Amino acid sequence: MSENYEPNIVAFLCNWCSYAGADLAGTSRVHYPANIQVIRVMCSGRVNPLYVMNALQQGADGVLISGCHPGDCHYMEGNFYARRRMGMLKDLMEFVGVDPKRFHMSWVSASEGHKWKEVVEKTVEEAREAGPFEGFRRRQIDW
Amino acid sequence: MTDKPKVGVYVCHCGINISATVDVETVADYALKLPNVEVARTYSYMCSDPGQVLIKNDIKEHGLNRIIVASCSPRMHEPTFRKAIQEAGLNPYYLEMANIREQCSWVHEDMEEATAKSKKLVASAVAKVRLLEALESKEVDAEPAALIIGAGIAGIQAALDIADAGFKVFLVEKTPSVGGRMAQLDKTFPTLDCSACILTPKMVDCASHPNIELLSYSEVEEIGGYIGNFDVKVRKKARYVDFDKCTGCGDCAAECRVKDRFPSEFDQGMGKRSAIYLPFPQAVPAKYTIDPESCLYLTRGKCGKGPKCQEVCKAEAINFEQEDEIVEFKVGAVIVATGFDPFDASRKPEYGYNDYPNVITGMEMERLVSASGPTGGKVKVFNGEEEIEPKEVAFIKCVGSRDASVGNEYCSRVCCMYVAKQAHLIRDKIPDANIRVYYIDVRAFGKGFEEFYDRVRRENVRYIRGNPSEIFKRGNKLVVKVEDTLTATPLEDEVDLVVLGVGLEPRADMREIMDLLRLSQSPDRFFLEAHPKLRPVDTATEGVFLAGCCQGPKDIPDTVAQAKGAASSAMIPLARGKVMISAQVAEVDEATCRGCGFCVNICPYTAIELVKINRFGHEVEVARVNEALCKGCGSCSAGCLSDSIQPKSFRDRQILPQIAALGVLK
Amino acid sequence: MDLEQLRKTAAEVVVREDVKYLIGWKQGSYGYRVAPVFVEDASGAAELLFSPLCTANLATYLTLVEKTPLPRGQEADKRKVALLVKGCDSRAVTQLIVEHGINRDQVIVVGCPCPGVVDTEKLAEKYPEQGKPAEVEWNGENFVLLCDDKETELPRDQFLAEKCRLCRHPNPVISDITVGEPVEPWTLADDNGVEEIEGKNLEERQAYWEEQFSKCIRCYSCRNVCPLCYCQDCILDRLNPTWVNRAVNFSENTAFNIARAFHLAGRCIECGECERVCPANIPLGKLNRKMAREVRDKYGFEPGVDPEAEPFQASFKPDDPEDFIL
Repeated sequence: MSENYEPNIVAFLCNWCSYAGADLAGTSRVHYPANIQVIRVMCSGRVNPLYVMNALQQGADGVLISGCHPGDCHYMEGNFYARRRMGMLKDLMEFVGVDPKRFHMSWVSASEGHKWKEVVEKTVEEAREAGPFEGFRRRQIDW
Repeated sequence: MTDKPKVGVYVCHCGINISATVDVETVADYALKLPNVEVARTYSYMCSDPGQVLIKNDIKEHGLNRIIVASCSPRMHEPTFRKAIQEAGLNPYYLEMANIREQCSWVHEDMEEATAKSKKLVASAVAKVRLLEALESKEVDAEPAALIIGAGIAGIQAALDIADAGFKVFLVEKTPSVGGRMAQLDKTFPTLDCSACILTPKMVDCASHPNIELLSYSEVEEIGGYIGNFDVKVRKKARYVDFDKCTGCGDCAAECRVKDRFPSEFDQGMGKRSAIYLPFPQAVPAKYTIDPESCLYLTRGKCGKGPKCQEVCKAEAINFEQEDEIVEFKVGAVIVATGFDPFDASRKPEYGYNDYPNVITGMEMERLVSASGPTGGKVKVFNGEEEIEPKEVAFIKCVGSRDASVGNEYCSRVCCMYVAKQAHLIRDKIPDANIRVYYIDVRAFGKGFEEFYDRVRRENVRYIRGNPSEIFKRGNKLVVKVEDTLTATPLEDEVDLVVLGVGLEPRADMREIMDLLRLSQSPDRFFLEAHPKLRPVDTATEGVFLAGCCQGPKDIPDTVAQAKGAASSAMIPLARGKVMISAQVAEVDEATCRGCGFCVNICPYTAIELVKINRFGHEVEVARVNEALCKGCGSCSAGCLSDSIQPKSFRDRQILPQIAALGVLK
Repeated sequence: MDLEQLRKTAAEVVVREDVKYLIGWKQGSYGYRVAPVFVEDASGAAELLFSPLCTANLATYLTLVEKTPLPRGQEADKRKVALLVKGCDSRAVTQLIVEHGINRDQVIVVGCPCPGVVDTEKLAEKYPEQGKPAEVEWNGENFVLLCDDKETELPRDQFLAEKCRLCRHPNPVISDITVGEPVEPWTLADDNGVEEIEGKNLEERQAYWEEQFSKCIRCYSCRNVCPLCYCQDCILDRLNPTWVNRAVNFSENTAFNIARAFHLAGRCIECGECERVCPANIPLGKLNRKMAREVRDKYGFEPGVDPEAEPFQASFKPDDPEDFIL
């Protein structure tokens, strides 16, 4: 692992809870590591589990998916589907040798700016421990 | 895609909110090198008029057809910029925002890191914006009616405003009467208006208004649909009294076999009521209700030789066979005005609220000083031995507010003033009483508040800075143990009456409303508004608005102001008669859909159904989306194995390049 | 099994007016090969075969018809399709019903209770294939190889296919007609090949799968043979968006195999066809069995046993496990 390795984290946040929670962290000027880049989706249920695989393949060292707390989903059930899908994916990824430290899921509500910070810190810290992802990374990434 | 994408990237300084941490020029220079980017600029405030003009001019001059604004959260200004580019002739959905403020400049300190991250966020936005599609919003009719949940002063005021504007209002109140907490108050601070005198006319108005359908003693069971078209189901609980026949004469309550045996909710348990009751004399509607939990006949199936109430009711209104009734109707907007619960003082056991009858709460004090209260307005307390007129009175403020130990870190905003008001009222009724107020701070921020506080102090009410640690009994006195923190003197203050200035809490049953309407809570557990400053009456659910203390503690003028705000917001779709439905809905590719029905199962809005089509000679089933019902969550899409159903603007082919863009840069 | 009874039953089915054809197995052209056969008339039924060599899961053919465009003006043949199924195959049919892949009333399921099939690779290793066709029978305890008028007993323990060692449903879970007597389910093998990999640490697993997936030539046989990979247009073939590049390398191969395993989670009925047909001998069954076991253990769901079930990937329970959530 190189000395100045900084993990590259891609996060998928639901618009209504987690993205709003991350915005609240901003308005509250809560500081957290800059390693995380957010892709906004309307619901954690929108996150196709294969995005996680794709992100690792395309240059991410860690992936985070965050949605509303169970029962609080703006779309009622989306986060329940997300939970089942991600639970399965995590088992599969671990089985093929992907470090579970690269993959996290959390519930962060629109009022949990501080929890968002904690989640980011934990995600970054674990991805750092796991080191640069070398598994099935694409050699050349185009977009 | 017909035109080659020509992207304009606009990086906002946001004064120094962004530019202090992000080198915006570097970000713009970088953006210019990205594929399809024709123009990249920075500007001090992109959202300002000149900022928007900058974009509009570039669209015209450079023929830009995709716009990226790298600034604040899209939750903040996406509508602003959508409108701006639309005015310049672009489809409003050809916009992507890079959130480099809330999720970058405000949360990172290192300029180099924040700038690098901003570049990535811009690159990711470029990757997506090139592939966005033009969308057309559709309009559907809006039902010109509103539902208001809760008929306290907030609900009443909102109902009257909307009804006066000519729209139908369904006002649903859980308890038998409208009026809410305000009806329980004696005088209101700082003007000392009689609460009942200013409220009861409004209560009567809302019951008699031709446009208001008052559903008292009712609860909302289900709300489906969406802005403009909410389907509401309300349960009208059985009163066991025929609403139309009851004349409100009160003979029934007077003759009830369990007359005045039960604590009156309205009098905070200090007064008593019968099993059949009117919550208070001015109750609206003035119709009696049988409490099924205290009525002998309803609990035991037997009441003497036959229920007395039935016997004496000349109007023959008593009907023990009555059942709950379900009422269904449609509205275009919903206002939630469910109010608050007073803090339960027994959660501060050190104050002995459960142990000593002469430790009472502010709400109880309201009833005690009220001329219509259980004592007829005489301030008398039982000190454990005898009923006395208290000569030594102590108030304690911030009980259950600003107190992390009970989970309430917020200030309840009304206690400072209601305590001052009650101190004044006691001074009025017991001129020779010694009155002191234990406080942490005095927050007299509103119109006339500081003046009133001054007046009360001049009336010889002593303000002692200190937060009492304990109340205990010594003889027939209560001892308030406290340190006067201004003089660092420990005190043991002997008094006859302690009034706990309890704060306001979110209602214990708010979860039901949250589930009905998909509302969120803010950290203080009150309902979360869409934006704390700019959309204080809106919620994240379109067409649902907040009024009064359900959104956070407030006094009566603030509650009324918010109710009027919510009413006018709710009237927008009603007055237009139309609402825009989101263009960002799911779409099915019928050529590849395999008709497995996973999406049908997943969709929480039953917006998807399977239909038969002919595909290359074969009759096959494919999914079809009802765009009016679809909310664009995209859960269907992540569950679709053949990627055949995709939410517009959040398609896989738009998101995967975003992922790639974030991965390319290290 | 009494082949006469099978052929007679099949003949009775195919002559029905509402039946298009019956899909079954017949003797292959050489060695241990068994070929699928589409029987359209009573005479064709004479070719039918059911033996421990009939490994192929014929449910795959049920969804193929819709994929081929019909010539303009030609009407689709809407008659029913009859299908011979083993236990595992019947689960594929059930799962297809759950997923609207087929209509229950469009298929006539002819169930063949199955004592297990032989691992033809092991068989060919020990008794190399010859030019002419050979037969294998089940004598109630062991397999018997019939070749050159010789009978060779093949011990069950040695020659039973791996997927059958773990088979929970040797008798068809649905059938309209059953041919033969139900077989007694057997004790499952302890080792399903999954624990072996779970016993490895992350680096070892990574190395193991790197070796395996690097062998993949992306022939898509696994997908094409799978009865539940029946999408009109597989996302792993698409260019817009490109989930997986066409390049054959470790990265893309891994993405392909992860995506396929994920798509089969809660759907795979463990017929083992993918693994059998893989020319690179990638242990795909381990991936699918791993997921099937997690779905069973953690979510209490087994696909392809209840035609009324809600599809696993399109449902949830409020108390689904969430121990992995931060």
